[in-house]
Amino acid sequence: MVSSAFVAGSKTGNPTLKAGVYTGATVCVDANGNGKCDGTETTATTDGSGKFTLTTADTGQIIADITTAAKNTASGATVPSHLVLRASAAQVADQGADKIVISPASSEVQRLVEANGSSYAVEKANLASRLSGPAFGQGVTFSGVDALADVNTLTGAQQYAMLYEYNQLSNRYTYATTKLDRGDKYPDALAVAGGDPRLAGVTGITSGETIPADTRTTITFAQAQQAAFNIEGVPAYDNIFIIMLENKSTDAILGNTTRAPNINNLLGKYNQLTTYYSTGNPSEPNYTALGGGDDWGITDDNWFGCGAFGPNAPTDVAFVGGTASDGQPLPAQSALPPLDKAHLAGYSTNAGDACSSAPTSGTNHNEPGDNLFTLLSKSGLTWRTYNESMNPGQDVRADSIADPAVADTYNETNTDGTNVTGSPNFAVVGGLYKVKHGPSMAYQAARNLPEFVADTRTIFGTQYTAADWAKTSVYTVPKGWIYDQFGADLAAGDVGNVNFIMPDQCDDMHGVGSDTSCSNNNNGETVGITRSDIYINKVVGAIQSSALWKNARKHVAIVIMFDEGEGSSTSCCGWNAAGKGSGDAPVTVDASGKATKGAQPSGYDNGNNGHGNSIFGIITNAQDAGTAPLGVKDSDAYSHFSLVRTIQDMFQIADPAADASYLNRAKYTEFFIAENILALPEFNSSADTHFDSVRPINHAYVIPKTYVQKLNPADISGVGVGGSAVTPQTGPDATQSNVWSLTK
Amino acid sequence: MRTKFHVVAVFGAVLLMLTACGGGGVDNSSSSSGSGGSSGSGSGSSSGGSSSGGSSSTLGLAAQVGQKAFFDKTLSSGKNMSCASCHSPQYAYGPPNSLAVQLGSDPAQSGVRAVPTLRYKDATPPYEDNAANPDGVTLPSAGGGFMLDGRASTLAEQPELPLLNPIEMNNPSKSAVVQAVKDGQYADLFAQAYGANVFNDTDSAFADLGQAIQAFEQEDPSFHPYSSKYDLYVHNKLGGTLTAAENRGLRIFNTAEVANCSACHYGGVNFNGNQGLMTDFTYQAIGAPRNDKSIPGNPDPIPANDDPTYYDMGLCGPYRSDHTPAKLGTPDQYCGQFKVPTLRNVATRNAFFHNGVFHSLNQVVNFYNTRDTNPEYWYPSTGGSGTPVVNPTYALQPTYVPGATVAKFNDLPPEEQVNVDEEVPLGTGITPPDNVNATTLGDGVQPRAAGSTPSITDQQITDLVCFLNILSDGYQVPDVQPTSGACVN
Repeated sequence: MVSSAFVAGSKTGNPTLKAGVYTGATVCVDANGNGKCDGTETTATTDGSGKFTLTTADTGQIIADITTAAKNTASGATVPSHLVLRASAAQVADQGADKIVISPASSEVQRLVEANGSSYAVEKANLASRLSGPAFGQGVTFSGVDALADVNTLTGAQQYAMLYEYNQLSNRYTYATTKLDRGDKYPDALAVAGGDPRLAGVTGITSGETIPADTRTTITFAQAQQAAFNIEGVPAYDNIFIIMLENKSTDAILGNTTRAPNINNLLGKYNQLTTYYSTGNPSEPNYTALGGGDDWGITDDNWFGCGAFGPNAPTDVAFVGGTASDGQPLPAQSALPPLDKAHLAGYSTNAGDACSSAPTSGTNHNEPGDNLFTLLSKSGLTWRTYNESMNPGQDVRADSIADPAVADTYNETNTDGTNVTGSPNFAVVGGLYKVKHGPSMAYQAARNLPEFVADTRTIFGTQYTAADWAKTSVYTVPKGWIYDQFGADLAAGDVGNVNFIMPDQCDDMHGVGSDTSCSNNNNGETVGITRSDIYINKVVGAIQSSALWKNARKHVAIVIMFDEGEGSSTSCCGWNAAGKGSGDAPVTVDASGKATKGAQPSGYDNGNNGHGNSIFGIITNAQDAGTAPLGVKDSDAYSHFSLVRTIQDMFQIADPAADASYLNRAKYTEFFIAENILALPEFNSSADTHFDSVRPINHAYVIPKTYVQKLNPADISGVGVGGSAVTPQTGPDATQSNVWSLTK
Repeated sequence: MRTKFHVVAVFGAVLLMLTACGGGGVDNSSSSSGSGGSSGSGSGSSSGGSSSGGSSSTLGLAAQVGQKAFFDKTLSSGKNMSCASCHSPQYAYGPPNSLAVQLGSDPAQSGVRAVPTLRYKDATPPYEDNAANPDGVTLPSAGGGFMLDGRASTLAEQPELPLLNPIEMNNPSKSAVVQAVKDGQYADLFAQAYGANVFNDTDSAFADLGQAIQAFEQEDPSFHPYSSKYDLYVHNKLGGTLTAAENRGLRIFNTAEVANCSACHYGGVNFNGNQGLMTDFTYQAIGAPRNDKSIPGNPDPIPANDDPTYYDMGLCGPYRSDHTPAKLGTPDQYCGQFKVPTLRNVATRNAFFHNGVFHSLNQVVNFYNTRDTNPEYWYPSTGGSGTPVVNPTYALQPTYVPGATVAKFNDLPPEEQVNVDEEVPLGTGITPPDNVNATTLGDGVQPRAAGSTPSITDQQITDLVCFLNILSDGYQVPDVQPTSGACVN
């Protein structure tokens, strides 16, 4: 009975993981396959070295029932939550009765056999090939024997790779056990084909919505095993790369093959959400929403100290320096970045001003509580942000600054032959890298993570090469600086589970400075779009040509999205649906799902108002492997809050049975809102409760026949001219498939 | 410069107006801030929870003072005119009548510009020559500020301008205003808010009065009720479903190639969490016809315009002084530019543009549409021969003699006429290749040819006006939705 344990506190970006065994666990042959050692089934108990001897005439899978009384020697503590692991009869036969290893990996092989209708031999080999390849900085190779071996017998990179797998799988199987013990209904309510069956008879739901009858029954062991890898209908992915672009409505990009041929090719070939809404304006509230499911009333791009006083005052501590998991030397950082306007947007030297270092008023920009980054970290999972054009050696919490010694000419040619040549020998301007575009930056607890600096990483540039940056006159380049950690990490298998990629403000369609190649506007006709299209091609190409992407047993996705659109403030899906003056406030939620509205933070209801529709494209390696459908278009309404919920489901850092486990506004499902309307005044008198509420991006809901797609009023500009009109769709989608689908 | 401000003698036509600001009885100094007929609660909670008028008890102390001052007629020389006289709460804090410009406290005086609404003003940033555009992408340009030429930076600074203007409230000095407050019924409240010694220093007391009025305008929900049908629509609330006509109007409003209204009357997310303000706070030279006696049957020409050397050119003067052209007769980009107003409650107005030359929304939209294609509808003309052609009923000029020369842009000196906006629908909007950001005639944007087809059809104008109608606050969702009418199908 082998185990792993995650020990918090690593500063490198990869978790500290230990190997061990479970002692005091009950083992039996689960003859009836119910995941329990029933009265008639003979049991044994694992000893102090995790071993057991079981003599039985029962036939079937072996299960290990690991209760909270059992101990995990890897952590030195009792098991925090009930866990059932298993090994198939085929494995027993294969390994031999005296060499059976029950582990998260043995459970996984059997789960895949059941999911795919395949065999032990096939899934054992698949697990070995899944684990083989670049991993955490080294190349590792697993045989089938290795994949199911006792992790304590492995060493070095191979052992670490296996422990990482154990940790993820232990989390999932613990959750599967929780679902079984709890007697959850199967599937999850928001995964039911057609719509959420709980809404039947609920007061306040808009008439005409699709609400199927609730025919769900109590989950079985076998169902729970699969459900833990498909939470709310969102398949478990190993890695997601979210590439952030800036400030374009759908109508400026879709069909704009002159300026954005690559993006349009990708949208045409792969999957797309066609009613995707941003949630704030300008950039910072959108990135903040992406990091934690709320923008907290931020309506500017100012630094995290703005309005942060009293309990919100920054608690950042000095960083002594170190080395990231990929070898990047990390310079020391002071408790706060340099206190001036060049480094901190909006910084005021007048004490008391909202954006001074001693504010006495203003909307808080230093947000409390958990966020995607802390949740991933607590689960022993990994995250990275890859940021183009940071000054080498800079404080990662500061904007990049101008560097007259670093100059070059932008000169790139797009795939369609369009050349973009910028201003000759143009020096680095301030703000190519902006903290406002960091989804982790507004969150105090994220910035306080020990791995925060190590996880805020570099990605290759276009205009400025490593040789250009080496001439810097504004910072000291740390010895051994890696200018392209993204490329290095892809090659070495050291990317995160969740990766946000932020091109610089010339490669993301935003625009900064006066380089002619960096001009941007919202009419879809500026050269900055071409520049960004070129960058997208490079980034997507790098991912698609990586060993990770080509590992058919790993599930990897790329998202191409925009922080916000333009035009009017309509949003959906958890938005502040009554606007300024709505009186909304963050809620606290108890175990029963009852929400209580807290005090309204200053300026809170200025936020979450949305900024229109924008592009959201999805590319998966299963599509490139030919196993998943291409060209899926999902027109159900989704927002940044839906994406946060989806990522939580995808990486099992939430539980649909516990509304409170979803970050901030990501918990605002249609059922939750209806049950808690008194705490959520912004949703009163809704004309479309489905549109106003959050759901995971899973295409479970079926759009009624007469339903007209709700697009941003500013995108509805179609009177037959200009070619940029977006025509609202009526009725259900042509493709009835989940954009994350792993199979056809 | 040769333009100058003249205080002009009163004309008979003006005297006929019975409900001028100073003379009418439309305002009520004792009314509470929320009593405005057009600021009702609409469908209440569904429109954002901010639609009900605030009672004094919900206002801070400063705002309570501001509320009293706002309705205080003693703050004018004739003790006959308060802020509310021209900014009537019953008319969305805009003018309560159809006069192009309002009479002063001294009824022998007359204003020079139409009175703007005070609603949705609290989000306006101070004026800057290179102000950021709230849409986040349009290049910086002149924007922000209060008054039609932006010469007041804040709502607190703004009241000084009408209070001390001889043709408006006509107080001779700040001390006269402060004295009136001191003598008034809310002197104690004022002292409570700003200190027992507040009346000792006239300048600071006057500034405090401005702060108080600002506080009232910021705090009282009746200045930003968000209770229109449009608010129900954008917030996806019951009762907010647009009719077919309104929906078409919205599309036309937004479509850059047709009406292009949203380019300046920006309805998107705005600074500081504001939204749907229907203005981007910028300045534009639209080239409105001169409101003078050259318009046959003009009910209310601006008296100041009787002086042919007088031009009101907005940002470049005469009331604003920092953009006065250095040299006479030279084009200056700021000349002729006036602030883009909010279109919220526009349908409740009866005087449009800075000089109030238009008196209906239909007329305004038709002007945008045919300024270039049919200038003879709008500007006086001379010469020509033959039988006069009858212009459409919405035109300012009832007839046109074939071949006559039209005095286009007659409210600007000839050298400043290059500043007029030629974006769609006024002009072609076609920019020269070397300046993609061009917007004006002087920038090289081509006008629409006289006699060519306008950008917007008559049906589209009808629909557009239907859309503009839904921007009025105080919308009550009808029990039964109408099934017929101009703005339904």
